[in-house]
Amino acid sequence: MTPDSNIRRRALLKVGIAGTASLALPLAAVAARSYGFEAAEVADGVWLIAGAQDSLNRDNGGAIANTVLLRTGQGAIVIDTGSTALMGAEIRAFADQRLGGVAATLNTHHHPDHWFGNAAFADAPILSLGPTAQAAALNGQGYSDALYSILGPWMSGTTPVPPQSPVQPGAQSLAGRALTLMPLAGHTEADLAILDADTGTLIAGDLLFLDRAPTLPDADMATWRASLDSLGALQPSGTIPGHGPFHRSSAALAQTRAYLEATDARLMRAAELGLTPAEAMAAGPVPDFAGLGAMPEEYHRSVVQRWADYEQRALTTISDA
Amino acid sequence: MSALLTQLLPGGGPVRQDAAPGKADPWDSGMWPLHRADWLGDPADWRNDAAVVVLGPEAAEDAMHVPFTLDATGVGAVERIVVTIDYSPIPQVLTFWPGRARPLLGFGVKYESGSPLRASVQRAGGGWRMGARYVSAMGGGCTAPAAAHGQPDWQEGFGEMRARLWPDTGRLRVWLRHPQDTGLAPGIAAHHLTEMVLEDDAGQIARLELHAPVEENPALTFLLPEDVSGPVTIRARDTMGYRFVGEVAA
Ligand SMILES: [Zn+2]
Repeated sequence: MTPDSNIRRRALLKVGIAGTASLALPLAAVAARSYGFEAAEVADGVWLIAGAQDSLNRDNGGAIANTVLLRTGQGAIVIDTGSTALMGAEIRAFADQRLGGVAATLNTHHHPDHWFGNAAFADAPILSLGPTAQAAALNGQGYSDALYSILGPWMSGTTPVPPQSPVQPGAQSLAGRALTLMPLAGHTEADLAILDADTGTLIAGDLLFLDRAPTLPDADMATWRASLDSLGALQPSGTIPGHGPFHRSSAALAQTRAYLEATDARLMRAAELGLTPAEAMAAGPVPDFAGLGAMPEEYHRSVVQRWADYEQRALTTISDA
Repeated sequence: MSALLTQLLPGGGPVRQDAAPGKADPWDSGMWPLHRADWLGDPADWRNDAAVVVLGPEAAEDAMHVPFTLDATGVGAVERIVVTIDYSPIPQVLTFWPGRARPLLGFGVKYESGSPLRASVQRAGGGWRMGARYVSAMGGGCTAPAAAHGQPDWQEGFGEMRARLWPDTGRLRVWLRHPQDTGLAPGIAAHHLTEMVLEDDAGQIARLELHAPVEENPALTFLLPEDVSGPVTIRARDTMGYRFVGEVAA
């Protein structure tokens, strides 16, 4: 433990190319580019590498999701590892240089912006909820194809390494740090939220978004809202959403809930009024949320991803040949 | 006035076609002169026209389901609408004879690679007017990939038809469970819809010729004429001789 471990502090650290050179990555690719992360200690022993509030693209190299590192006496607990091998390697370099290595890695859910950096952490357990590991294994190749086409050279050397070990939910000590692992769902079929007992920090994964449009490819609106109720019953000292800044209010909870309700209502209304999905898309996002990061493209994607849910409710079976 | 309904959602304004009107192909595509000759008969009277509105996404989030809506109600009397995709292994998507219906159509397609989708509208007088939209096929990333597709369980619910008619706006939406196999995947024979017809007491309303690039479990939107008051019968058939019938009333 460092001498200042009992006081909350904020610190910034550049993790750049120097940190990655020691790792076994294709060096030609590594030498050409770097994420140059800034890591901030948002609570005692809780470090945040914040993702861009945007869609996956070549400007951000896929670094859009938050990565959290929890300091323990045995190294870091790394929560989510980014979209690429390079990103994982740079996170790993930070853990090695500042937190004494890696004790364990957690993947909050199966979307690739949260686990495609796993290869850099394969020498310690990579933990997730059971359905997350299954979905990651099942979809890994498809995600890989999509990410290579979107991110191009940023993906150099990236192969999917799905989480292997199931976590036991509940209150426990992980590498000596007291955590409550909450098995929730709704953003995907399995969403792991983590409450850090020492600091009271909630690491919510993609159940919470702040100032960036939520992604809905696997969403179940009713289940997600129930999970928000569970998170709303907590009294965290601070919250780290899956995408968006650390904050000490209930802002992400309120915004995510409002976004889901408004978007759910908009798509149901569109289907009930007989609009086509292309018309619902062309009408754009709910005006109150048009200014969020990754808009309007995230809304456009959501219309395609979720349209069938609403259309099936709006139409009536007239034949069952 | 546009027959589109985007303004029914808060914040949704009118939509315009954005490609420059005129005789030039806005995408300068190598395929278009060939397609124009093959499917339109190389007409002398042809141009890109903002009156043909084609709504679609910028990128194919799910390449198996790329939604489009075309609105040619600003063109005048329409004989038929030919929909093609430049860079598709099967470029011919569908041909729509609106008949008594208005020339508006919603549909979804499969997309192979980045390409314009074109709606070529033959006016009653003979000239052709085109609207088009370019769709990037790169996708949006976190897409659940095609694991749900290509499973040999298409017989389950095969032929189920869902529909609804909205008398206020004249909209009719039809959904049909059908695999729409292209025949391009190894070991899977082509099996897709070839025709859909709308009828009422007064006879045929509209007819649609369909091809393999139309999405699996297709959903189609029509704009009925004002003289339709009774129930509408929807008939469809496919390459294997299956026939599908359903009736929808307001
Ligand atoms: Zn995410």
